[in-house]
Amino acid sequence: MTADYGGGGGYSRTSYGAAGGDDAGGFVYGGSQGGSQGGGRASGEESLRPVTIKQIIDAEQAYQDAPFRIDGVEVSQVTFVGMVRNISPQTTNITFKLDDGTGLIEVKQWLDADKDDSGKPQFQLDQYVRVWGRLKSFNNKRHVGAHVIKPVADFNEVNYHLLEATYVHLFFTKGAKTDANGQSNGNTGDNDSMFVDDGNSGNGANDDKVRHCSMNAKKFFNWLQHAEGGNEGIHLNLIAQGAKLSVNDAMAAAEELFGTGVVYTTIDDETFAILDY
Amino acid sequence: MEPISTPRISGQIIGSFVGRNVMIVGKVLQLRGEEAVIEANGHVTANLNREAHLTPGNGVQIIGKVNNDLSIKVMSSVDLGNNVDFTVSQAVVDATHQYPDLFVYAN
Repeated sequence: MTADYGGGGGYSRTSYGAAGGDDAGGFVYGGSQGGSQGGGRASGEESLRPVTIKQIIDAEQAYQDAPFRIDGVEVSQVTFVGMVRNISPQTTNITFKLDDGTGLIEVKQWLDADKDDSGKPQFQLDQYVRVWGRLKSFNNKRHVGAHVIKPVADFNEVNYHLLEATYVHLFFTKGAKTDANGQSNGNTGDNDSMFVDDGNSGNGANDDKVRHCSMNAKKFFNWLQHAEGGNEGIHLNLIAQGAKLSVNDAMAAAEELFGTGVVYTTIDDETFAILDY
Repeated sequence: MEPISTPRISGQIIGSFVGRNVMIVGKVLQLRGEEAVIEANGHVTANLNREAHLTPGNGVQIIGKVNNDLSIKVMSSVDLGNNVDFTVSQAVVDATHQYPDLFVYAN
């Protein structure tokens, strides 16, 4: 299977998938991807996203059991911090209520009857903890199924986390900072962006054209830019496959890029090439 | 799952939050019985509850209601030790109000 997170203690997707049932079935989102069973899941969906609790509560779900979306991006694995407000031991799990100042959410840590859990850390009320887990919905009630809960040893991690969640939100809504040296300036100014917009990106002028586009539009553009036969144009489905986007996302990206005049349609309405001038 | 926020604020913007529950991270300047003065980008007077155990010079996180005189009626307080980077706390306060979608439910 896909997921063996190097640093995170090696959760394999099979074990959690079987328990949650949300991996069942090969329903292809968007429909028209030529027979790629289960290929409808966007590539970013299994990546770990730092979030605030308000973002979890506000995460959209198109219908029951649909994937969760934050900022229009599919998300299931999240990490966040919060203060323990309530601990309620159940027969099969321990349910925590966590509060990070932005909202309150329930976190369930499942108990393994075969394992001795006495070695697990015990938590106190009002203590800050960090959770790594998966978004779940049960009886229309949202909670996080925790893989790991650890105490926050250094309070600065709380502030760091909230800024990181902001950074990732801006990354998905405003796009990555092209000068990818990863530095965020403490965001103390009135500047609308957290990132220094100094333009010395060292990438070509082409990347400049998509600097203010969405992540998906950038993926679309970058793949198309390096694809062969780009002059005659490439069909939307091929671009979606190559750029690892769902067809719907690729369509939205194409519309966005078309609207700003970065790409144009060639032999039909679904075949795109980069507009070079 | 409850949409209730205690937005992180500083002494500078406390005037806009009268009557609301807020969260403040700052440094304990003075302790006088049931009252503490906290530096959080401006001085804030906190009316403590019995459970509060603050240490002058240490960082503290308080959650409480902003009174009409801009003091805070503390509901909970956590001693944060002496290793708190207050510039980062202030950055979080700034981000909170610049991007309320991520941080604050209007209530």
